[in-house]
Amino acid sequence: MRKKILFLFVLCFGITHAQNDYLNYQNLTKNLKELDVKSKYCTVKSIGKSSGGKEIWLLTISESTTPKPALLITAGLDGKYRAGTQITLKMIENLLNSDKLSKILEEKTIYFVPSVNPDAIDAAFATIKMEKSGNDTKTDDDRDGKIGEDPFEDLNKDGLITQLRIEDITGSFIESPEDSRVLIKADPMKNQVGKYVLISEGIDNDKDGMFNEDFSEGVNIDKNFTFDYPVFEKGAGVYVASEPETRALLDFLYLNQNIYGVLTFGMHNNLSETPKYDSKLASSRIIKGWLEKDIKAVERVSKLYTQKAAIKDGPKMPMTKGNFAQTAYFHAGRFSFSTPGWWVPKVEAKKDSLDSKLEKPKDKDKEAVNSEVSFLKWADSQNIKSAFINWSVIKHPDFPNQKVEVGGFAPYTLNNPPVNFLEETATKHVLFVEELLAAMPKIETNVPEVEKVRENLYRITIKVANKGLLPTYTEIGDKIRFVSKMKTEIVLQKNQSMVSGRKYFIRNSMQADESEEYSWLISGTGKVTITTGCATAGFKEVIVDLK
Amino acid sequence: MKKYILLSLLSFVFWVTNAQKSDIAPQDLNGIRAIGSPANPKVKMAWDSYHDYAQVTQLGRDLVKAYPNLVKMESVGKSYEGRDIWVLTISDFNSGEVENKPGFYIDGGIHANEMQGVEVAMYTAWYLAESFQTIKFINTLLKEKVFYIVMTISPDGRENFIYKSNNSNTSRSGMRPFDNDGDGLVNEDKLDDLDNDGHIVMMRRKSKTGRWKVDTKYPTRMYQVKGDEIGEYEMLGYEGVDNDKDGLVNEDLIGTYDPNRDWGWNWQPNYVQNGALFYPGTLPETRAIKAFIVNHPNIAGAQSYHNFGGMFLRGPGAAEDDALFSSQDIEVYDNIGKLGEKMIPGYNYFVIHKDLYTVYGGEIDFLSLTRGIFTFSNELMTSYKLFNQKSTAGRWDNDEFNEFDKYLLFGDGYLEWKTFNHPQFGDIEIGGPKKNYIRNHPGFMIQEDAHRNMAFSLYHAYQTPKLEIIGIETEKLSGDLVAVTATVMNTRIIPTHSLHDVKNKIERPNYISLTGSAVVAGMTVQNEDLNLFTEQKFTPETIAVPNIEGMGNVKVRWIVKGNPSGATVKVSSAKGGTVSDKIK
Repeated sequence: MRKKILFLFVLCFGITHAQNDYLNYQNLTKNLKELDVKSKYCTVKSIGKSSGGKEIWLLTISESTTPKPALLITAGLDGKYRAGTQITLKMIENLLNSDKLSKILEEKTIYFVPSVNPDAIDAAFATIKMEKSGNDTKTDDDRDGKIGEDPFEDLNKDGLITQLRIEDITGSFIESPEDSRVLIKADPMKNQVGKYVLISEGIDNDKDGMFNEDFSEGVNIDKNFTFDYPVFEKGAGVYVASEPETRALLDFLYLNQNIYGVLTFGMHNNLSETPKYDSKLASSRIIKGWLEKDIKAVERVSKLYTQKAAIKDGPKMPMTKGNFAQTAYFHAGRFSFSTPGWWVPKVEAKKDSLDSKLEKPKDKDKEAVNSEVSFLKWADSQNIKSAFINWSVIKHPDFPNQKVEVGGFAPYTLNNPPVNFLEETATKHVLFVEELLAAMPKIETNVPEVEKVRENLYRITIKVANKGLLPTYTEIGDKIRFVSKMKTEIVLQKNQSMVSGRKYFIRNSMQADESEEYSWLISGTGKVTITTGCATAGFKEVIVDLK
Repeated sequence: MKKYILLSLLSFVFWVTNAQKSDIAPQDLNGIRAIGSPANPKVKMAWDSYHDYAQVTQLGRDLVKAYPNLVKMESVGKSYEGRDIWVLTISDFNSGEVENKPGFYIDGGIHANEMQGVEVAMYTAWYLAESFQTIKFINTLLKEKVFYIVMTISPDGRENFIYKSNNSNTSRSGMRPFDNDGDGLVNEDKLDDLDNDGHIVMMRRKSKTGRWKVDTKYPTRMYQVKGDEIGEYEMLGYEGVDNDKDGLVNEDLIGTYDPNRDWGWNWQPNYVQNGALFYPGTLPETRAIKAFIVNHPNIAGAQSYHNFGGMFLRGPGAAEDDALFSSQDIEVYDNIGKLGEKMIPGYNYFVIHKDLYTVYGGEIDFLSLTRGIFTFSNELMTSYKLFNQKSTAGRWDNDEFNEFDKYLLFGDGYLEWKTFNHPQFGDIEIGGPKKNYIRNHPGFMIQEDAHRNMAFSLYHAYQTPKLEIIGIETEKLSGDLVAVTATVMNTRIIPTHSLHDVKNKIERPNYISLTGSAVVAGMTVQNEDLNLFTEQKFTPETIAVPNIEGMGNVKVRWIVKGNPSGATVKVSSAKGGTVSDKIK
């Protein structure tokens, strides 16, 4: 134990470090290191280096060095999604201030990896800002043998890489009737005629007819994992698990068998809406659907999320290929939850003071909701000025005779609001994490029954049960060699011998409220020790005296 | 002045030829030399035994020392136990940049108990260097191509196989310990060499209920009784005891993973593909080789030597990837594979998932599908080789190995049964095939099979693309415009890009460029006679060509201003090398 400083420091922490904006890598590191020093529960260490040589920080909240059943909370995989990192930092702060923490840590450990892809963080602080998903690996994005030969250019010198719209006969975009700033695909069925070609801001540096097709974006870590890897896709890497960040996180996950579940802040959501059981996908040789018992558990967790923690209106965001969240379940066999953490709050329709019923949007309207339009509506209502760069005409060397305008959403804005908007969601997610930790499996045993069969011969019978809300580990985990299995073991003394029974029993995952009975015939008197459990549920030890 | 230059050039040529002559031993020029083999090699080698890691390393060092202009050795990384993984680069360093030559990659012994793969890789390196001066074909091959030879890709497992107790199937894995039986303990119940003779053989016990009997013809052989025949023995598995007293014998061995399920194409976890670890590249050995392959885009062909069964295997490893092998790519494999069946009697040309078994995440798929490299994996040694005839019995239950042992090995292949008092099983007997029999070639057969398999791979390497500019024509157009038409032919059967590569843009396109002339427009020629062209509007001086097929050609045309005489046409291809020519 190298922790010492007064708990008071922890309480002050939130105040001294209140920040108004996102952290760069240096400040993130500083922030985490301070937590390591100031909180007696926090340890910060690196689980590996990024492609660009930055440390991938792991913050462990634990009251001892022995591993206990744990949750792993990760963020900052796809560089475009920065809010997750900020939310996790707020969560750490809130957790450390929570009066429930010391109680939680008696039985659990919490791991945070707030930035799995640290190389991407500082792109948002560059003089010219552009959205970058990838790490620092040099990539040939258009596979032409040249690296980074056609990057973006800041044509209107506003420090931001946004978009260009060009009036052209081939254009298929028009201004949205709901908000003229937003461009939408023209729908010929609605008598709409395309007007604009939409491309990213820049020129055709290598004169190959394509714009900004290779700025060497690096590898998007959330596309480089093993499940459903999108081979040959831009940003996915030359091959699966090619990146040091991917390997560092997977090594950490696989080697720490006490990790029960993973919560990822990313651009997908399986908490607001849970995966559905599909017997075909779940039983094929290459399993592509959640197993039945695991879905039951996830449904319970989803209820903790939407009801207990009251995190409402989560957007439907399907799983992406090669991401960590799916790999953690399908390949590493851990419960895996993911959420964007923040989304545009639903604007409730104003209701008449006399009308008791809330006006529900009709199905037709629901379909037509454009996320960009609703974002702008929200941003306007919150007085967020910098979110959208209004279209303005520029001269473009590649389109000398055409009207070209630069404008659009400022990089990162759509999914990453100013940090003060993340406070509330961080608080709610702490509540969720506390609920989830409390719902984890609880291994309990009865007082073992000892029968004296004959002089010097005893039968011991013990009942083991899971009294938690969730199973000891996933159903899929039973198939996976690296998942710690439920094991009930008896240790005898030298003078004792086993007449019947096994040194240990290994069984499948134990569901909530499931139980099993074990018995042994032991010859010889004295104490025997029975241990039962698994790394994800914890172990329980019982000592029986044979006399 | 010109005269002097010519003179000095001539004397240089003379000096070089002389130097080459001095590399040839007198024995190589007289009748003592057996055709096809170096009679008096600079690096003395005997090919009738297996070599350990120190000897493998020594061969590399000796070749570098003897042939510094042909052989280079570097470490591409360390194994789990810290051994260097050596790559030999073999080419004529005096003719052209190595990285601009089509490359051929060879490795051996990824499954370390499959010993002879390493020997074939070593033999190939040795033979190429030693034959450079005497055999014209090899000389030309090393001028045109570069070989990257990883003699042993799993050095830890090989040392374990040689120096520790094993049977013919163990030490297939590497040495990183893992918990195999899910009890939370690691390697707690390994095989036990009960009599400490270095061989893990079988355990048998006399039993009235047993279903096994001794083969009277070959007393070391046991056979299973059928029908109502009464047996005399029960078989108790490989030599071992229940070390951890859990009621199971030998249930948690060293490693028990498969380095050939640790690559990066269609990788699947252990419940789909036994032997897989956390992710492809969990092992330092495969990680190092993958980085090497990606960093050498000139590698156009590859071979990974395995045993057993006498096969030339091509991908894919899994049926769902069948569609990725187009008929035109398969034609290339067929050409090489079918010739192989003639070159090595008893070997068959097969597809991994159809004729062997399904492999997810294997090396062959990584090379051929992730990287677009035409790849074979030879399964060395087959029971055919025993009596040069096809056996009618199955892979493991024929008695030809016993017969061969009796008449050609004089009983050296088996350990006779002997009694042993076992802590759990009581009075038992132990005996059976030695670890280095069955899967691995007997000594006198190593060199012949090494040579035949090398010859197969050299043919494969020879067929990697060779690009030649076979003609440049100029034609005056109106005004000061001239049309320059260059024809580039690939004179070998392997294309610069497999169709799978072209579809997925794995490797950059071939670039054919014209420098030293004012290019006005550039195009590829679809049909010259019918005037069909496809113009490349952008960067017309460098025409991108997605593929030049095996034995195929492309024509490109530039419209230039003024007389193009003296301008250079250059072809640059990642897998096909570079070649250039000047316009007359």
